[in-house]
Amino acid sequence: MSDSGKRFNFKSVVYGFLSFILGFLLFLLSVCLVLKFTFFSKDFMLESMANSGYYEMTKDELCDELQDLGHASGLPDEFFDDFVRGLDMVEIERTYISAFYTGSSELVDTDKFKQSLIDAVNVYIDENNIDNKKADENSILHFVNEASSIYVKTVKIPFFEVLAKYIKNVDTPLTVAVIGIAAAVLAVAAIIFFTNRYKHRRYRYLTYGLGAGFLSVAVVPIVVYSSGIIPKINLATRSLYNLFVGYFNSLFMYFWIFAGILLFLSVIGFVVYRQKYLKAIGR
Amino acid sequence: MHKHRTSHRSIGGKNFIILPIIFCVLIIGISTAAVYSASGNFISMAQMFFSDGERDFSTGYDNIFVPIEEEDEDEDEDKENSSSERKVVPMSQVEFPSYGDQFGELIIEDCQIEAKLFFNDGVNELNNGVGVFTGSFIPGYGKTILVAGHNNTFFNGLKYAEKGQKVKIRTSYGNYVYEINDIKIVNEDDVDACNLGADYENLIMYTCYPFDELGLTPQRCFVYAKFVSGPALDNKH
Repeated sequence: MSDSGKRFNFKSVVYGFLSFILGFLLFLLSVCLVLKFTFFSKDFMLESMANSGYYEMTKDELCDELQDLGHASGLPDEFFDDFVRGLDMVEIERTYISAFYTGSSELVDTDKFKQSLIDAVNVYIDENNIDNKKADENSILHFVNEASSIYVKTVKIPFFEVLAKYIKNVDTPLTVAVIGIAAAVLAVAAIIFFTNRYKHRRYRYLTYGLGAGFLSVAVVPIVVYSSGIIPKINLATRSLYNLFVGYFNSLFMYFWIFAGILLFLSVIGFVVYRQKYLKAIGR
Repeated sequence: MHKHRTSHRSIGGKNFIILPIIFCVLIIGISTAAVYSASGNFISMAQMFFSDGERDFSTGYDNIFVPIEEEDEDEDEDKENSSSERKVVPMSQVEFPSYGDQFGELIIEDCQIEAKLFFNDGVNELNNGVGVFTGSFIPGYGKTILVAGHNNTFFNGLKYAEKGQKVKIRTSYGNYVYEINDIKIVNEDDVDACNLGADYENLIMYTCYPFDELGLTPQRCFVYAKFVSGPALDNKH
């Protein structure tokens, strides 16, 4: 092989490797951005809650569970219909989620709930002229504490408190990582672009990297959806199930969006490459 | 104009497919290996949150109870007394209930109780009737049957329970009669109130006490009944 041929092969390997690095960095950047826009975003969680009807469903579930408790406590279903109707689940859940994303330890305020329930029971006793002997203070307190546990269980999202510390600790490093990876992407792209003598080759290697990035990002939702794993998520209540199925569907929608952007850029890169190449060979 | 020396070559379109695929395989392979080595335990743990199929959130229940013709109770009781032989139903002929299934009904006419009988005593079951604690036995086994119900709904009538009253349990494989022989009020944490290890057939029903009181009460009312009649389940067949 001639020296020029060897040099050509060596350059091809180097630029091929840079294309691979570019693809890898684009994949990492996409994953980090997806996490930044979804898992680490309070607004994304609140939006998922609103879109999945989480507030209405948790209200219904809380009412059902309190009514079940009422069957063992001598309180009719209507009592809980009225009581739960008075709770602002949107505000309660928003406060809980906000506390979760800021790492606060006071996640669910039970004092207000307990006091409201005690007041409601007292009104019920007065309205129905219930004998004091049939309304023992300790039994009512036991009921209120049990109801409060149900309330906390309904408002809370399982394992979120465990994840909260990670979210608080990782959020800033993730932002730094996004900036760092984006800078690296620009640097690699600049090396490919400015060190190639022929214009069409610049676009060729950039397109290789963009294509690799597109495929890698697209593989993630393809694998997840082909495995059918999302609907099999095992959660205790319908509200949580709907919330997280919707949450993950939206999360993977971001992967599709990033894959789409990379595909679009790849196609643009290929079209420009083709034009430059045809121009170079004089067709 | 500069003419490129590779002007005789094709546009090289297949490289735009093959190379990105090769790169993608490498990227996914490296990323997977890195993620697994860094958080393999977390990933294994996350698998616990997925089941084999979609979860069913329906609050309905299956009813496997098909009433069978009721024999004359007195005649049946006489038969039991006149002969130590108890009618035997092979287990192979019995459809064993799954968790949450209605498999019978419980009737105490003197207490105005007529409730669906479920296998399990969870929230859903006690909303619809009374339930057998799954750590005890179903009728016919020759052991303790522990049945729970709410004091303000299906077992409210237990406040009228007295010794000598008959309790009927009807199932698809046989009709059973028990006779109330004791009533006790105990604290909720009294673990000696029922003997689940008894080697003779007996029925224990319990609910919260006092009846008709607001709130969660700290006592329990246990109603004990001895076996009178009904077929035995033969688990050898």
